[in-house]
Amino acid sequence: MEALLTMGASDYSRGMQAIQPTSSAEEARLVQRARRQDAGAFESLYRLHVGKVYGLCLRMTGNVSEAEDCTQEAFIKAWSQLVRFRGDSQFSTWLHRIAVNAVLGRMRKSKREQERLQVVDDVNATPLSTGDSGTLRDLAEAVDRLPEGARHVFVLNAVYGYTHEEAADMLGIAAGTSKAQLHRARRLLAQQLKEQGFDE
Amino acid sequence: MNTDFDDKLDRAARQLARDISPARDLWPGIADAIATPARPSRMPIFAQAAAVVLLVGASSGLTWYWMKGQVQPVTQVSPALVFEQASFGANYSLGVDFQVARDGLAAELEVSLARLSPEARGDIEANLQIVQTAIYEINAALEQEPDNVLLQEKLLRAYREELMLLRRIGGLTRNVMMRNDI
Repeated sequence: MEALLTMGASDYSRGMQAIQPTSSAEEARLVQRARRQDAGAFESLYRLHVGKVYGLCLRMTGNVSEAEDCTQEAFIKAWSQLVRFRGDSQFSTWLHRIAVNAVLGRMRKSKREQERLQVVDDVNATPLSTGDSGTLRDLAEAVDRLPEGARHVFVLNAVYGYTHEEAADMLGIAAGTSKAQLHRARRLLAQQLKEQGFDE
Repeated sequence: MNTDFDDKLDRAARQLARDISPARDLWPGIADAIATPARPSRMPIFAQAAAVVLLVGASSGLTWYWMKGQVQPVTQVSPALVFEQASFGANYSLGVDFQVARDGLAAELEVSLARLSPEARGDIEANLQIVQTAIYEINAALEQEPDNVLLQEKLLRAYREELMLLRRIGGLTRNVMMRNDI
């Protein structure tokens, strides 16, 4: 397993699912090494977590290019802030928080989010390659069409399983706002999905 | 309270893929970024000090150069007005010669103006008013900034304008014959 955890970029096949750690102790050792500026250990951590981080970014942005940028930005920031990671929370949670910040920061900086929604509405762009199929693909596309605030809360809460308090903390909003946004997301999704027979 | 639809939605949402591999390997970009040493966010103290010294020096040099350009006309004053430069310093008092010349011309002003037509007199008085208002305002500014060389120079120039105007009035009226001159 150690060999798998530390394999380099050249050994990694494109499109391969991220490697899951079998032990939190192994992950903790990698974190300790990465904290000492061991780039190899950090690459292993990247291999372990890139799938979930990229998935989160992709679900939140609904845009492949932005999701890739946010993923890279999140890992680069994680590298520079590793010394601050004290292990109070899981490494994956800490990494997700950084990724959410990267997404929010990117969206604040540009108005591309609005342009993206416009493009989606206008040309019915090709669905994102998320691995979902059938009904789930309909749901994924409907989630992608949600307004930003509602989409972020739905992704963190309903898809990734964070509590309202955790999601609110990550997004910098009140827990009550998170609940309201989830309610809004469900209402909007119901409008979209019932027309497609999701409820049958 | 959740409806049946909400429950079904939540179940479906939990089945959405959370682990999605990017279409391309993002590691090379990350590796490049973390391999490049981060630039220090703050300049070293000595560099900051050097920057301040450079800034102050450049600013002082520019100011000196600019003020030198402003003072230049004073050195080119015609010989007839050379006395204006006398003793005009930080206390912005005028030279004795200047005061004598101005007082003499001012005393003649009323007589000189009386020789002119009402229209010409009105024009001249308006011009004098402009110059004297400028002198008043520059003096007021100098009370706030007594050592401001630029203001001192402007005051000197304004006094010179006033003196030249007074002389011109005298010249204009010198050849005008009045009824009682006949």
